[in-house]
Amino acid sequence: MTQYGMIIDLRKCVGCGACALACKTENNTALRRNGQTHNWADFIHETTGTFPDTKFRTLPVLCNHCSNAPCVAACPVEPKAMYKTADGITMHNDDRCIGCRACQDACPYSMDDVSTDGASREYSVISYNDEGEPAHPFFSDKTELIKRCSGSPAELCSLAGAVPPHRTDYQHPDYKNVRRDNIVEKCILCDHRLKVGELPACVEACPSGARIFGDLDDGKSEAAMLLQKHGGFVLKKEKGTKPNVHYIRNYSAR
Amino acid sequence: MKIKRRDFLKLSAIAGATAAVGGCARSAVELNALSATKKSNVVIGEAPGEWKATTCQGCTTWCPTEVFVQDGRAVKVKGNRYSKQNDGKVCPRGHLSLQQVYDPDRLKVPMKRTNPNKGKGQDPGFVPISWDEALSTIADKMMALRHDKEPEKFCLMRGRYTYMRDLIYDVVPKTFGSPNNISHSSTCAEGEKFGSFFTEGYWDYRDYDLDNSRYILIWGCDPVASNRMVPATIKRLGEALDRATVAVVDPRLTTSGAKGHEWLPLIPGTDGAVALGIAHTILTEGLWNREFVGDFKDGVNRFVPGRKVTEEEFEEVHTYGVVKWWNIAVADMSASKAASVSGVPAEQIVRVARGLAAAAPHVAVWMGPGAAMQARGGYSAMAVHALAGLLGAVDNEGGSLQSAKIPVNKLNGDILKKYQDELAKKHSHMEKIDQRGRLELPALKSGKSGGGVATNNAVTGMLNNDPYEIKVLIGYMNNFPFSCNGTDKWEKALGKVPFTVHLTTNASEFTMFADIVIPCAVTKYEKWGFVKTKANRYAACTLVQPVIEPVWDVIQDETEFPYLLAEKLKDRGFANMYDCLVEMFCDPETGAKAKNSKELSLYALKYYTKPLWDGKKDTHGDKINGWAEMVARGMWNSAPYEYKSHWGKFKTETAKFEFYSETLKKALHKHAKRHHVSVDEVMTAVNYTARGELAFVPHHEPPMRHGAESEFPFVFIDYKSRLNREGRSQNCPWYYEFKHVDPGDVGGQDTLRINPVDANKIGIKDGDRVWVTSVAASGECIARVWEGVRPGTVSKAYGQGHWAYGRTATADFGRSATRGVNNNTIIPWELERLSGSNARNGGHAAVRIEKI
Repeated sequence: MTQYGMIIDLRKCVGCGACALACKTENNTALRRNGQTHNWADFIHETTGTFPDTKFRTLPVLCNHCSNAPCVAACPVEPKAMYKTADGITMHNDDRCIGCRACQDACPYSMDDVSTDGASREYSVISYNDEGEPAHPFFSDKTELIKRCSGSPAELCSLAGAVPPHRTDYQHPDYKNVRRDNIVEKCILCDHRLKVGELPACVEACPSGARIFGDLDDGKSEAAMLLQKHGGFVLKKEKGTKPNVHYIRNYSAR
Repeated sequence: MKIKRRDFLKLSAIAGATAAVGGCARSAVELNALSATKKSNVVIGEAPGEWKATTCQGCTTWCPTEVFVQDGRAVKVKGNRYSKQNDGKVCPRGHLSLQQVYDPDRLKVPMKRTNPNKGKGQDPGFVPISWDEALSTIADKMMALRHDKEPEKFCLMRGRYTYMRDLIYDVVPKTFGSPNNISHSSTCAEGEKFGSFFTEGYWDYRDYDLDNSRYILIWGCDPVASNRMVPATIKRLGEALDRATVAVVDPRLTTSGAKGHEWLPLIPGTDGAVALGIAHTILTEGLWNREFVGDFKDGVNRFVPGRKVTEEEFEEVHTYGVVKWWNIAVADMSASKAASVSGVPAEQIVRVARGLAAAAPHVAVWMGPGAAMQARGGYSAMAVHALAGLLGAVDNEGGSLQSAKIPVNKLNGDILKKYQDELAKKHSHMEKIDQRGRLELPALKSGKSGGGVATNNAVTGMLNNDPYEIKVLIGYMNNFPFSCNGTDKWEKALGKVPFTVHLTTNASEFTMFADIVIPCAVTKYEKWGFVKTKANRYAACTLVQPVIEPVWDVIQDETEFPYLLAEKLKDRGFANMYDCLVEMFCDPETGAKAKNSKELSLYALKYYTKPLWDGKKDTHGDKINGWAEMVARGMWNSAPYEYKSHWGKFKTETAKFEFYSETLKKALHKHAKRHHVSVDEVMTAVNYTARGELAFVPHHEPPMRHGAESEFPFVFIDYKSRLNREGRSQNCPWYYEFKHVDPGDVGGQDTLRINPVDANKIGIKDGDRVWVTSVAASGECIARVWEGVRPGTVSKAYGQGHWAYGRTATADFGRSATRGVNNNTIIPWELERLSGSNARNGGHAAVRIEKI
């Protein structure tokens, strides 16, 4: 069997944000609105201890592509919109999704309404695109800040020929590069890249080399070997979801 | 309230219903049956596109990058595949830049002001005008200065630049006849350069050989977030943590500080004391590097606490004045005294000193702006860099390095001179508006009195018409009323300039004072240029290229504007600028003269970079065969820097690394002589406390403080966010979304971090809206109660608080309402006068915090 997963080496990670931004540019995810972050990759931060013995760490977070995925179990449609691929990816099929958000409800790593952010440990793996709203309402606005002198978001998109104007164009049978309304969305491990022999965008972009993608069932993969060597931990192990994103080593050397 | 489908489903489940979903005619089963029959024949993967080379200028790393272009649109960013600095990776800024080129609030046409009243909160009443009207108006105003024989009253201000600056920054003012080309350089880090110049003879940023460091001492910066080799450091910090010791001197907990083995959270402005405390330990325990520094002739260490040493007893090798330094400044600064001054425990100072010595000479002493950009930061910059000297870690494996040479062409001074008429020659040598070189402003770049810019003092000259009034002001990609501390002074000064032009992408704060505004290309995406950079032992020349067609009707600021302006001046009988540009920057391959502004841009770039690709001489780096290959690769790498290249030939007075700076002594004496005063009188005039010999050695100066402790009990710490593309990314929504990647920050707000002990004392809770007030100004931000900031200090990232720029940067553009407060409004106007720098660190900004 193949079980794709990711090892995040916290010793190498500097919490810079490049992975999450690269994800946004790759997958054309929307800006935060209506309690939905639309961040398929995000971060939580933890501060412990008291000055001057303060400790701080950042954990990059993304869909855990759980082996025992509650989001898949919760998906009410048949065949399921949220399903496991043969490679172990928790895949989302845009066409089949009915926007019921049962997956978001079931996922222990998701929230239906994110009001803050990683600074207070809030994030959501799954986001929902509201019914009847465009994916990028920011770019629908026709107002010019300085009349006839500065642009408007709508004019910009019309000149660039896409919404968002930096839209990365790719194709995949399960999902679109910009989501329609009334469906959920989440990290699909950039399957459109994997299928053509490329790494997920966040892995490719990480300037510290902290994200290692691979088949965790293949003992010879770098990811599996790192996991075996360092052990590591998963998020909310007690939920029994069997995540396939593992964190190894300590963020801090102190 | 809107009922979510999920709620409906739950209700349905309770009712025993299953498949039917509300608001939709079809059942889920039906829907899925439809999608299942729709057999997919999509080709998996990316639509066609091309990776095109260019350069990111979001910070001063100046990363060689590539942009993926699909259907004429820039869609993704990565590092240049040939880069030996970033290995094909960029930091978050690289990706964020897509929201800059596709900023909806960019200016799309030239515009003019219709409201003559200038000031913050005044609507300029901008209206669109033709290119011809814009350029003709500027040319008319400039010709009037020539007519009145006062071309010096023209001033060109420079912000973010490429090395194509020569056209706009040199040719324009010098052929016209003005001495006033004022750069932004000293807003950034000239204080750092002061530290390395007056010890090592190197007026530049240092490179650091992190791959070979066994101890990395990071001082006053967070090199994985900002400073000058961001992706290279991000890549290497993790491995360094396993291989080496990482210690971080900073009053706030940075990412490096959080990850490192040691965090030394000193009281702001006490850097010199901590550095000397470390030096004291190294010397008294006999731990200095013998190969570089030398030894006592008989091998017996006479550096005993409190005792003076006779110079003759020590024989130095590559250094000069270690005994003098000890006698004048170090002997008196034991680790315990340094601890009492700085708040860093003595045992930690000693532990770090011993660790550094054990790893020497493979030690990177990374001196950042926090240690240098202080009102009295010149000597602390020297003190930190002097540690590298004691450890033999200067220009050495694993240490700080200078740069390999980048063989590009220079501006042709002979051609420039040829096109300077008598008026231009005479007036371009008049005193500059920033008053550099006056008694109270030595600005000793490269050791020369008045040798460097004092950006933040141009405002003084302008306000006081001293040495004269500025009547025509052109700024390009600068925003001094936002980026320089003392923003109130800039607002007043710009409010009184009769005619101002701004070359910009967005209507920034500077723009709001302009009479004519020229919409410009976004660097990295829409213009030609080149920059020089270095990291990881390699120097690089990397091209800025128009990887996409400009989104709007814009021009390239550094090259097209000079050409178009020169054409208009020529029409009015003044042809020198035009003739100079087209002669100097003809196509180096064909000799053709530029027939338009776009050709001039391209020819100028070819002219400068030609030695890298024409195959005539060994570049001591990548071999590039012709211009086409240069464009395709986008960059040239040097051979790796040779260690110890400058040992025995440092460009100091003694050719040695100077602990007692004969170089600074000479510079100060020359400056004093110029003004017929003593060096002590110079020191008084520049707000330093050192007198006598102390002025020539790295030492501790008591920090300056604006505002009494009783009234302003906290010290304000400014820092640069890892998402700052200088001050320009605040109109990018992603900036706010991910602002929490700065340790201790919260997204979507302007965060002021305060220690819980202080917060309790003044009754402030996490998330409270607070007023922060200095002697200069007040502003609103949100308190974050956090253990990563030293009690008695508060810290906030520079960047937010724009009252112009765009819909996302401001709370309300039309009303000049800000989101948060600009740090440079809170930080009172101040200079580090020996280097001419803007002072922004080191504790001169004292504040009080009040709950709103």
